[in-house]
Amino acid sequence: MNVQDQTAQVIYLRERNFIMLKKDLMMRNPLRSVSDENGYILPEGGLGAVVARAGVGKTALLVQLALNSLLKDDNALHISLGDPVRKVSLWYKEVFNNIGVQYKIDKIDDLWNELLPQRFIMTFNIDGFSVPRLDERLTELADQDIFHPQMILIDGLPFNDQMKRADLHALKELSEKFKSHIWFTVRSHRHEEPDNDGIPVQIAEFADLLDVVIKLEPQNNEIRLNVLKGSGAISAQDLALDPATMLIKE
Amino acid sequence: MSTELNKIRNIGISAHIDSGKTTLTERILFYTQRIHAIHDVKGKDGVGATMDSMELEKERGITIASAATFCEWDDNEINIIDTPGHVDFTIEVERSLRVLDGAILVLCAVGGVQSQSITVDQQMKRYKVPCIAFVNKCDRSGANPERVTDQLREKLGHNAVMMQLPIGLEAEHEGVIDLASMKATYFDGDNGEVLRVEEIPAELKEKAELKREELLEEASNYCDILADAFLEEQEISPEMILSAMRKGVLTRAVTPVYMGSAYKNKGVQPLLDACIQLLPDPSEVTNIALDLDNEEEEIILGNSCDDPIVALAFKLEDGQYGQLTYIRVYQGTITKGDTLINTRSGKKLKIGRLVRMHADQMEDINSIQAGYIGALFGIDCASGDTFAAPKLNYSMTSMFVPNPVISLAIIPKDNKAQINMSKALNRFSKEDPTFRTFVDDETNETIIEGMGELHLEVYVERMRREYDAEVTTGQPRVAYRETITRRAEFNYTHKKQTGGSGQYGRVAGYMEPYSEGEFEFINKVTGGSIPTQFISSCEKGFKAGLTKGALMEFPVTGIRVEINDGASHSVDSSEMAFQAAARGAFQEAYKKAKPVIHEPIMKVVIETPTEFQGTVMGTINQRRGTILGAQEEGPMCVVESQVPLAEMFGYSTVLRSSTQGKAQFTMEFANYRQVPQSITEELQKKKAEEGKGAA
Repeated sequence: MNVQDQTAQVIYLRERNFIMLKKDLMMRNPLRSVSDENGYILPEGGLGAVVARAGVGKTALLVQLALNSLLKDDNALHISLGDPVRKVSLWYKEVFNNIGVQYKIDKIDDLWNELLPQRFIMTFNIDGFSVPRLDERLTELADQDIFHPQMILIDGLPFNDQMKRADLHALKELSEKFKSHIWFTVRSHRHEEPDNDGIPVQIAEFADLLDVVIKLEPQNNEIRLNVLKGSGAISAQDLALDPATMLIKE
Repeated sequence: MSTELNKIRNIGISAHIDSGKTTLTERILFYTQRIHAIHDVKGKDGVGATMDSMELEKERGITIASAATFCEWDDNEINIIDTPGHVDFTIEVERSLRVLDGAILVLCAVGGVQSQSITVDQQMKRYKVPCIAFVNKCDRSGANPERVTDQLREKLGHNAVMMQLPIGLEAEHEGVIDLASMKATYFDGDNGEVLRVEEIPAELKEKAELKREELLEEASNYCDILADAFLEEQEISPEMILSAMRKGVLTRAVTPVYMGSAYKNKGVQPLLDACIQLLPDPSEVTNIALDLDNEEEEIILGNSCDDPIVALAFKLEDGQYGQLTYIRVYQGTITKGDTLINTRSGKKLKIGRLVRMHADQMEDINSIQAGYIGALFGIDCASGDTFAAPKLNYSMTSMFVPNPVISLAIIPKDNKAQINMSKALNRFSKEDPTFRTFVDDETNETIIEGMGELHLEVYVERMRREYDAEVTTGQPRVAYRETITRRAEFNYTHKKQTGGSGQYGRVAGYMEPYSEGEFEFINKVTGGSIPTQFISSCEKGFKAGLTKGALMEFPVTGIRVEINDGASHSVDSSEMAFQAAARGAFQEAYKKAKPVIHEPIMKVVIETPTEFQGTVMGTINQRRGTILGAQEEGPMCVVESQVPLAEMFGYSTVLRSSTQGKAQFTMEFANYRQVPQSITEELQKKKAEEGKGAA
């Protein structure tokens, strides 16, 4: 062993507490059952979709995916089309506080302050959003060394006639370029029949570009997470959202 | 006094310096017959033109700057409310904007939308104030109202629609064409007081048709009947257009653009008509109060004259007869002799003299109804106080007053300045609860405290200008705090029993971090080991320890102390002895409890054109800031962040220079957070150096 290896890194007590707390939360995180050994659900440069009807919990799940990566010390960029920054922040605070209550964490505020710099919220008007524009913003942030997201979440992407295959392609390229994992939400409608694999019509033609598709479906008193498309060992059949707290439970 | 709410307008005139706010206000007062002669803003030597309006008004002796000036137009009552010129987020700005129902945004036909217009506009937007635009100075060379309308769209993101076309520009500016009625208006007489309405000049007819088409297209978005009539190419009356546009204005969906030249007496009367036709009356605005009995729950006020009274004191003014308190009544009717409660202090007050302010005089009135603005004499209150009927415990502004986060020493230049300064300070601290002042015992300096560098700068400037108090200021200081991070036990004996009367006291217990408040003291002493009469002395002793922490001598907060044991002596124990014992115990435990320094973190919101978004984020990043998010809204982008106050000194200059003056920011206190280790070390080093310097 050379001398360099022997040089111990100084870890302040306060930080050690947070490291332990984060590890503890990761261990108890129900999402680990659907993640690979590094804690990722998507492959690097991958695309994932969360599909549900309005009001079923797409944003809540997205926020938990983001928190999951924050706990891993990854940076998460949350893009909301339509909602203001304040509202998105509230979502995070709410979900995180619920986690604090559920796992009985005392210093939840301190931990939150610790995680805050790793999260970045960006909001656009729906009309003002485009993948090239996002690319431009992200490049700017990266060039100035302000923010490098490992996880990108896009809430409210409109899947209408204007959404072209080329757009999703561009998003995929963006994910690869920034070596990140991109999740986005897809709003489905009650009256629309899905295709044979259960993939909603809005994204059926892009399905080959997606690595994972998770559908949220209300069933009895909970909201089930059904994996419509997944890679490897991903199976979320046993996971559900608790409608009271919107937290994932096993 | 009119009793119909739809005949009242409470408006503000917003403009940046030199776009003609003073001239426009003066012309409005002239045409509404509040003043009887027009004086030129320009003094004989021409110096007056660029002078700041406040000083000008003082010099001229008229009261345009009074908080609210009342005038009448076409059987309607208009209150013109003074809007503050500074842009810092302070309670004062919020208050002024709260009493407005609508506003006129004055723009210069030559300069167009300048950075300060952007600022003014953003204030309006923040408080959702409906507005109409007035493009002034159409007589100046280079005037181009159409370009200004385009800028309103591009730079401010307004859905701006021209309601008029100018007849001639620059030196040939003669009048305006009204696109709703398709008539030309000229302004005759010495002071433009005679309106001559004629057919549109032939050479402008085609252009007017074109612009009217644009107006109709926009108006049809707000009225189905008009939309149908427009599609079927039926006759559309001016009233239909105005009523449709009004709907758009009330929701801030559209900004009608009027034009003229106040200096050349052109276009002011149609603007007054537009205020009545397009801006909301008090009943059309939703006003919200906070119910203090119900955790500040929001209550929508009724706007009715018969409801229990709720009124806001929005501005205080020192007059020759004492303090004049401007109020806006939100519901109910205030009558002479009424007894109301000041919900901040809980004190009863009896309404004596009620007045209404005119440009150069005041008028005694008997009552002030919901929606109206008036003033009270002889009421002792602070600005921002809410007066309510005895059974209501409502407040128009949040009762939460944050503690100051920054302080500054001020030194008066001479004796006269000293006297004026204390007058000013007394007044400011009454006006603004976030502004505080005290004299430092150690240095004997007067210290002012507030919510930010700009906040204090504004007051120092006001001291100079309004009170003629020349002061020099010291370096701004951040209000750091100390707190502990772990539990620590103490068992301290204070003993002095050599000669004379002795002192003896022992206290034992522990201290621990406490997040719900600043300090808590718990007494768990049993069996009389500390006699009951000395318990309060122990508490005093611990509290004394809070004033200066042992780490860096900053105030200590967030501590819970529990005492559970001790000892006393039948002769030598005294209150003083136990106070000393508690002080000693505090020092003993404090060092063991791992004290840390906390610093104020500010919520900084920057509004910038999108092209500077990256640059702005860079400036936050360099200041130990955390960017919470970026919100794109058309051409502008709002960056929300949290930045330590210590890093924000001089930020306005940095922001201005890095965005060509196009971005602006607001800053408010968010919370206290632990200072990183490296910064703590820096602070300690600095303190050590200061200590050496002092020695």
